[in-house]
Amino acid sequence: MKKLLKTIHHKPWQRILIALFWLSLWQAAAQLIHNPIILVGPIETLLSLERMILSGDFWLSIAHSFGKISAGFLAAFFIGILLGSCAYRFPLLQEFLEPVMTLMKSVPVASFVILALIWIGAQYLAVFIAFFVVLPMIYVNTLAGLQSTDKKLLEMAMVFHITLGKKIRFLYFPAALPYLISGCRIALGMSWKSGVAAEVIGLPSNSIGERLYMSKIYLETSDLFAWTFTIIAVSALFERLFLRLLSRMERKGEPIHETDPS
Amino acid sequence: MKLTLHNISKSFDSLEVLCNYSLSLESGHIYCLMGPSGCGKTTLLRILMGLEQADHGSVEGLEQARVSAVFQEDRLCEAFTPVENVMMVTGKSLTEAQVRAELCRLLPKESLKRPVSTLSGGMKRRVAICRALLAPFDLLLMDEPFTGLDEDTRQNVILYIREKCDGKLVFLTTHQEPDVEALGGRLLWILPNPAHTKN
Repeated sequence: MKKLLKTIHHKPWQRILIALFWLSLWQAAAQLIHNPIILVGPIETLLSLERMILSGDFWLSIAHSFGKISAGFLAAFFIGILLGSCAYRFPLLQEFLEPVMTLMKSVPVASFVILALIWIGAQYLAVFIAFFVVLPMIYVNTLAGLQSTDKKLLEMAMVFHITLGKKIRFLYFPAALPYLISGCRIALGMSWKSGVAAEVIGLPSNSIGERLYMSKIYLETSDLFAWTFTIIAVSALFERLFLRLLSRMERKGEPIHETDPS
Repeated sequence: MKLTLHNISKSFDSLEVLCNYSLSLESGHIYCLMGPSGCGKTTLLRILMGLEQADHGSVEGLEQARVSAVFQEDRLCEAFTPVENVMMVTGKSLTEAQVRAELCRLLPKESLKRPVSTLSGGMKRRVAICRALLAPFDLLLMDEPFTGLDEDTRQNVILYIREKCDGKLVFLTTHQEPDVEALGGRLLWILPNPAHTKN
């Protein structure tokens, strides 16, 4: 018994057992309710997912939504960094942008979606929404990261007349990157949640949002669950890939490679 | 080069740190400034580095001078190697191999590949000193450069400084009188009263 308890305390086993517990509870609840419109269990969800995967539309919808949401995210990522850097350099610009960023952060996503539908229509809705949700997060984190640059190192750079390029590489970039990574961690999840929510309202053709809406119309709760699972999986994959890419840029101290003419 | 300080005064809030301090320095000498803590040594160096503005007085001869410095703290980029920290200030004046060779004179070879954050306090100090000595300079300012160095390392560093600063103007602060002799330097005192040269 003691040996069994010791094995359970081992981390991966513990995780598997906890997951199994919740899955069984979910399955038990579904069987107890016995109404596939209100709640379906994990088995029905998996079967639904299998059926969807085998259809070509599934991958088309993922490609469509992934393309649009990641395009919005990446545009906001680069423009956020650019604006954050400019605002750090020119405090007047920071003051100027402050109300816009506060507005973008506080306006409900649903209001943005309706406005965007009026302005640009449904086709590029997810790009627009992901962009507007992510931009203030990246901007704020870039600015905070740059402001956290060690003042003593900046003085050192001033005394030695270090060029702007080197200041960016040696001082600003290492200071801003941890902020940027933590900002992206939140922004990546938010871009998917808000992007898909926008698609459910705007219903662009061949999007995940449209599939979710159809599941609701036809009361296909198992499809709804399967799509939800898909969204979580794709968003987690994108998040992991992007964060790994950013983390790899964090310095581990490899030497400069410069050719020696001697 | 010749550097002249005329009646430099500096206060922080109502606290007067420097009061009508005048001094004349010439290339080819190492000037060692001594004085009790809080008497304005660091403030004086910061004025010469261009990081503080004197309230009154003027500094002559600093306009065209290339300044290099060892700060009271190491002020190194912790995520980067010693070689990268030095090359950040040397630019194209030295190759990586030359920088590596110079650093090897003060530091063990294995330490050159590691990020500065993994080095000991004494090693970091030597990187900071090496960075200052390898940057192109006419005036070298050092604020208690030997802090955290053991006796043997200190002697080694002093010899290195003497070699690299030949013919240049060096102005440093220290609390150790034997350092002045080892450096072959001229001792200056700074007191709460106007400073005076001892020898």
